[in-house]
Amino acid sequence: MEIHVDKDACVGCGLCVKDCPMHVYELQNNVSVAVRPNNCMGCLSCHEICPAQALEHRGIYAAKRHYIDIHVCEMLKKVI
Amino acid sequence: MTAGYVDEMHEAFQTDLVYRSEDVPLECSPKPKDLEQTLHGLMKLNGLVIRSLEEIAGRGANAVTYRAGKKFGHEVAQYFQKRDDVEGALHELSDLLRGQYSFEVWKPEDKDSYIIEENGETFIYLVFHDCIVRQTLRRNGLDQGGPLCQTLFGYVVGAIEEITGRKAKLEIVHTGPNACLKKLVLK
Ligand code: SF4
Ligand code: SF4
Repeated sequence: MEIHVDKDACVGCGLCVKDCPMHVYELQNNVSVAVRPNNCMGCLSCHEICPAQALEHRGIYAAKRHYIDIHVCEMLKKVI
Repeated sequence: MTAGYVDEMHEAFQTDLVYRSEDVPLECSPKPKDLEQTLHGLMKLNGLVIRSLEEIAGRGANAVTYRAGKKFGHEVAQYFQKRDDVEGALHELSDLLRGQYSFEVWKPEDKDSYIIEENGETFIYLVFHDCIVRQTLRRNGLDQGGPLCQTLFGYVVGAIEEITGRKAKLEIVHTGPNACLKKLVLK
């Protein structure tokens, strides 16, 4: 698993550090750094909590998402 | 646990996908066009049953759903081959859960083996990737880790007990939007 933190976007809030159950991140000079990427099991809790959307996971398995309403998807497709 | 089995399991979850926070999922996969109404109806119904059960039974709701799941696990797994090795039992379990749940064995990088012995306990970490319970909870805006998750717990424990003839316990370590980490304790 490769984890990339956008240094310019990260606001150094430390939420990902606190939330990650595998202690993957550390704050270094007010920026989050993925110090233990091999410990990541792909839960994406950090993506959900990061207010700056600064995180990127490469090589992740995206779980099936049947819960996304198909009508909403169709509406989004028209807008995006 | 043999290296071949673990590699085979991991291969199924290895991708080149780049996932960004701003990505908006534009479609469900696989496309459930034909089953959409049924699926959403079922998820809504399940969510409402669980919410009402919690309102009426409080903490007792967990015991009810766990027991229901366990019965289901025993019932379904009785037709599967009996195995006394953990690897074989996990093989049978993933066949049993196919279509509703998918999981792989996992270990932190400082552990040498997938079967971990710690504080007098023997356990295996399982990462659940696809999970119909998680999807139902998110469809209904319900928290993870509550009574509906207990049905999965019961299901896995019931099935493992049926397949191996050994007592087992499943604990939540972490619940996330894309995967959950569970600890399968073997007794
Ligand atoms: S996906 Fe989960 S385990 Fe991986 S870095 Fe994010 S919070 Fe930690
Ligand atoms: S949660 Fe996001 S903004 Fe906050 S420290 Fe982590 S990466 Fe930076």
